[in-house]
Amino acid sequence: MKQELFQSRHEEEWTAFARWLDERSRPKANARALDGEGVFPDGEFPTAYRRLCQQLALAERRGYSAKLVQRLRDLVERGHLVFYRPRAPRLRRVVDFFAVEFPRLVRAQRAAMIAAAVLFYAPFVGSILLLQVKPELVHTIFGPEQLASFENMYDPASKAQRIGRESGSDLMMFGFYILNNVSIGFRTFAGGLVAGVGSVFVLIMNGVMIGGVAGHLTAIGYGGPFWRFVAGHSGPELTAIVISGGAGLQIGMALIAPGRRSRGRALVEAGAIGAKLVLGVFAMLVFAAFVEAYWSSIVWIPAPVKFTVGGIVWIAILLWLWRGGRDRADHGS
Amino acid sequence: MLDTLTHVETPEGIALQLRTAGAMPRVCAWAMDALIRFAVLWAFSAVLAVLGKSGVGLYALLLFSLMWVYPVLFEVLRDGQTPGKKFMKLRVVNANGTPVTWIASIVRNLLRTVDMLPFGYAFGLVACLGDARSRRLGDMVAGTLVVYAETPAGASTVPQAPAVHPPVTLALGERAAIIEFGERASQLTPERQQELAALLPMLTRANGALAVQRLNGMANALLGRR
Repeated sequence: MKQELFQSRHEEEWTAFARWLDERSRPKANARALDGEGVFPDGEFPTAYRRLCQQLALAERRGYSAKLVQRLRDLVERGHLVFYRPRAPRLRRVVDFFAVEFPRLVRAQRAAMIAAAVLFYAPFVGSILLLQVKPELVHTIFGPEQLASFENMYDPASKAQRIGRESGSDLMMFGFYILNNVSIGFRTFAGGLVAGVGSVFVLIMNGVMIGGVAGHLTAIGYGGPFWRFVAGHSGPELTAIVISGGAGLQIGMALIAPGRRSRGRALVEAGAIGAKLVLGVFAMLVFAAFVEAYWSSIVWIPAPVKFTVGGIVWIAILLWLWRGGRDRADHGS
Repeated sequence: MLDTLTHVETPEGIALQLRTAGAMPRVCAWAMDALIRFAVLWAFSAVLAVLGKSGVGLYALLLFSLMWVYPVLFEVLRDGQTPGKKFMKLRVVNANGTPVTWIASIVRNLLRTVDMLPFGYAFGLVACLGDARSRRLGDMVAGTLVVYAETPAGASTVPQAPAVHPPVTLALGERAAIIEFGERASQLTPERQQELAALLPMLTRANGALAVQRLNGMANALLGRR
């Protein structure tokens, strides 16, 4: 068949296809109910797309002009982008992710998680204990201004309305915790791509810093307000740091020891796992920021209540990660 | 190395041609996005300043969204195009040419952190310049490409001329070349057209403007016009 005939035979189809792409590939909210007004029904798009693919193959095979082939190629490419578009996330999928997939994924990366936990908790506990024996060592970690600000925030004699902050409203602190903590969580993961070095560094640093504050305040007798403050949000926050560190370590391992996969393949797989873990970390840190801003800072709640709630949160988090998605049959996700 | 075309075979048996974008247009797109984000931040900071300390909190939330959420939302919901990429006619796609997925977009944008190291996207730039498909580290791990969003080509525009049948049987590629000559004629000066037509004395058996006309006639004949 000569090109001109081919073209005149299918011209109508191509313009219809182009119009459908323009109008129906992302219909405006008010036009969503209309089905292919003046073009063809949305349900016929796959058929139209496959026909177009066949026509492109024919045009290439028969050596039709570059311009025609290019035009068909553009249409196919645009159709391809619509045809293989990712699904919009559904509520069911989101619930499933947090109830089933995320805890399973954490358990599946057990080795990385345990390594991250050790890297974080060893310096954490170490610096708390060390500062009880040699309190003066705190000056090697923090400068005098930082120390003064910590002491100010958790001074038992303070008449402030809130603990854990020098000033600021609940909403301000919530925003600040989100920006700060979640960004740290994200960077801890990303740092893992540098052969895991970034994650290891952040985990150890955070262990030393957080342990340093805790140890110092306990040593100087400000432990009461401090532990009351951190009891509620420490569960999600510290666990999230460890998980994002673990996510970073597993991507680092994929680079160092890809096993029987090519390094590129291993990185892509580890990246997908890491992104899912980071999504969970994100949710945990948002929850932690909320608790930290609106619950932990309240002064008048007595210590036993705070510690009980904190304990319940810790147990709930660990139970979730340990048991979540264990009894459910696998849907093959 | 010079050719930036990437061929991807789709399940329909079609080879998609993706033209990957180099570092320069991507830097421009990034700069555009940065500008837009600063403008939004600046516009809101004036409003939020009125709200005092709560305003500071909202400002932090806004900054967080612009930093981490903005690229992912635009890339997934707007066919792989942040406003900056749209301006530069770029698009993020999966390595197999399909639209970028949530997880892939999250990975490539989280790993920006590493591409920015040690300063000013140095890692990303080196990776991009060293890679045949111009991927930064985040793209490599996410399995994504940044490609040019093609602009649709127009219909065939061979000038009308009386059909002349070629004196010899032409191969497929030769026929395509003659038709392309006709399609591009409008972009060439008459002198250049004659120069090109003069390369085929065996086919046209003529000189100058007549040769051009005969070639166009052959293009018409090959297209099936009478």
